[in-house]
Amino acid sequence: MLVFIWIIQLIFIPFFSPLCIGIIRKIKAKLQNRQGANIFQPYRDLWKLLHKDEVISSDASWIFKFTPYIIFAVTLVVGLSVPLFLPRIVGFVTSDILFIVYALAISTFFMALAGMDTGSAFGGFGSSREMTIAALAEGGFIFSLLTMALIAGSSNLFTIAGLTRSIDSQSFLPAILAFGGFFIILLAETSRFPFDNPATHLELTMVHEAMILECSGKRLALMEWAASNKLLIFMSLGANLFFPFGLDLNVGLGTIVLGMFYFLIKIFLFCVVVALLESSIAKFRFFRLPDLLLVSFIFNVVAIGLIK
Amino acid sequence: MIKEKIQLYLPENVNVDYHDNLAIFEVSSSQIGDVVNDLHNQKKLPLKLVTVTDERKENGSFKIWYLFGVPGDNFFMCPFVVLKNTIEFPSLANIVPEILNYERKIQTFFGLKALGIPDNRALILHENYPSDVFPLRKDFEWKTKLKKSTGKYDFQEVKGEGIYEIPVGPIHAGIIEPGHFRFSMVGESIVQLEPRLGYVHKGSEKLFEVLPLEDKVRLSEKISGDSSFSHSLAFCQTIEKLAEINVTKRALYLRTIFAELERLANHFGDIGAIMMDTGFSFGGANGSRLREMIMQINEKLTGSRFLRRVNTIGGVKKDLNNDNKDYLNKILIDISKDFEEVVEIAENSASVLNRLKGTGIISFEIANNLGLVGVAGRAVGIKRDTRIDHPYAAYLEVSMGQIPIEEEGDVNARFQIRLKEIRKSLNIIQESLQKMPDGEIAISNNVNLIMKKSSYDVSMVEGWRGEIVYFVATDSQGNISRVFPRDPSFINWSALGEAGLNNIVPDFPLINKSFNLSYTGNDL
Repeated sequence: MLVFIWIIQLIFIPFFSPLCIGIIRKIKAKLQNRQGANIFQPYRDLWKLLHKDEVISSDASWIFKFTPYIIFAVTLVVGLSVPLFLPRIVGFVTSDILFIVYALAISTFFMALAGMDTGSAFGGFGSSREMTIAALAEGGFIFSLLTMALIAGSSNLFTIAGLTRSIDSQSFLPAILAFGGFFIILLAETSRFPFDNPATHLELTMVHEAMILECSGKRLALMEWAASNKLLIFMSLGANLFFPFGLDLNVGLGTIVLGMFYFLIKIFLFCVVVALLESSIAKFRFFRLPDLLLVSFIFNVVAIGLIK
Repeated sequence: MIKEKIQLYLPENVNVDYHDNLAIFEVSSSQIGDVVNDLHNQKKLPLKLVTVTDERKENGSFKIWYLFGVPGDNFFMCPFVVLKNTIEFPSLANIVPEILNYERKIQTFFGLKALGIPDNRALILHENYPSDVFPLRKDFEWKTKLKKSTGKYDFQEVKGEGIYEIPVGPIHAGIIEPGHFRFSMVGESIVQLEPRLGYVHKGSEKLFEVLPLEDKVRLSEKISGDSSFSHSLAFCQTIEKLAEINVTKRALYLRTIFAELERLANHFGDIGAIMMDTGFSFGGANGSRLREMIMQINEKLTGSRFLRRVNTIGGVKKDLNNDNKDYLNKILIDISKDFEEVVEIAENSASVLNRLKGTGIISFEIANNLGLVGVAGRAVGIKRDTRIDHPYAAYLEVSMGQIPIEEEGDVNARFQIRLKEIRKSLNIIQESLQKMPDGEIAISNNVNLIMKKSSYDVSMVEGWRGEIVYFVATDSQGNISRVFPRDPSFINWSALGEAGLNNIVPDFPLINKSFNLSYTGNDL
């Protein structure tokens, strides 16, 4: 049974992540009075890219060539280590909050290196911007998870997800504040509004897209796929650490199916919120972003201070 | 009447020739600086264009024309310099900064030398073009196949610690025209921005000299596709002046209506694109939607989304019957309501306004020096609008009110100007529909076009970007020997570098969009 659960955990994130992107795009299109592409379009895009030839700059080093694999692998491992529909698989080292935070930091690090590797001006400033955002987001990210870890008394994500179901009313306020901080980090780390515009064609305004501008074919597919994995990972963290409804401590076929059902609903709601946000506000000016990340950090510091 | 008023501006001891409402007079090379200084800097006449005619066949000389408009009185004055047995003329770029690009262009295309010009680089033609071939001289055959040349273009360089360059373009990610931008940066802020254009040079000026007349009208529609109607209108008006044709009242009203429809379509598109570039996709989508509605109206009324093949010399080809008039009236009321709703949502969005305000500021002084025209000029408070200063079509007969201006000169100001002009255009169309008299829409086809011989004329139209000026000269047989279409983009491109200064790079696309200049109109 456990092996079975591990396998589901492993394929769940990469399997569903393109769908999230498709749903967000569809909702955005509808909000703009457009028809929009089919919600399964991201799968077709990946399929198309995987069958395309690649163009690699002659100046590219091994970093550029390996980065897509490293980043994709990291999202797989992290995807395996976050609670999705069961709070029961405990004790594994990769489920520690510090592991999650820094595994994702490694992928950001390689992404930034790969962006600069080919020597194009766009990759360079993309990396520079990404590191600015990532460095400021890291504090908020750690502290928001730490708040939940302190409430639950464990740094293991599965334990946290299992225990926050029954938190007392005193921990309510810190949890809400931590979620506020976490949501800002979610937007920053997954390159969504108001930090980055995933739909833009304007090279000069890009952050994430500028870094992968030189990728093509299979490597681009992996980069895109990893980015959508990362989005789903962050949404699952948000959904299961802060809103652990539907997570049943008993392992069984029924609880797994029910857990999945609840999980998908929560993820769908996250998609709706992100799409609404992206349709209703403009992107922030770049130098206002640190303020926003600081707000996240302050939320979390206050949250930790409030924990009894 | 012109002859009395012009005395105010004339220097002493000149012989003035009158061509319609254009007064030309010869000035010697040594005095042209003083005359231009007096007209522009003392008497505050706006410079409209500087260009050259090659009249070596007729009188063995090049003539350099400096065209000034006298706002309000609807006439133009044009001192000119005759270059006989010499190719050198004094550069006036130090007296009127906006003359610089004209002089660079004259050097590149006519092979004349501006003495003392501060920037000697070729304009528009690139290094692959042989530097000893001057395509606008009369002895250059337009079908000549040129040898490929090589060379290096010196971008202006900024040196210092931590300064790096970003080359952008000429091919961009969006569906826009090609142009190269060279940014010098410190961190994220722009310390220098130099646009380099010329990638869509098509030899339009030369083509104007060789094509048959009807094709010239079509060519003028292609000078800048989004201003098809305004460009062909300006060209037709000039020819009509040269051939002394009176256009019927109804045609004048129709031209007004179509010109305003073109303005509406482009302004709608622009406000959408500006909001889209801030990332506000709701506003962006609605701007495109409104623009598309106008484009479809254009197609329904004239058969062309860009109002092409509507203008003809002596009038227009498409009439509006009563059904179409009612339809236009009704749909414009709907569009106006729609538009106000979108504007309200946009103006209540703090995040959009935050991006627009204070971005891409141009000071009044710089704008004035560069002679900024149109939307960009009015956004810094330069109160000029051809429809009022030099009325054409039926603009004298509809209520134009005040010229809308803003003071700030930022992206928001250019956005606001467009909003105000949209409201105004809607009113102008509705008023024109009411006042439009019955009658013919063009002179009959049988009339033989005879143009004045060895004459010159100019005509101006307020396109949606700004003033479009056409300068046309005829030879001793009465054939067109030179056409210089001056698109507003030619002037306003020089301001883009200034507007980008000290902004951050991620804001540049927004600044660029707030100008939305034409590449092809500049490159010709």
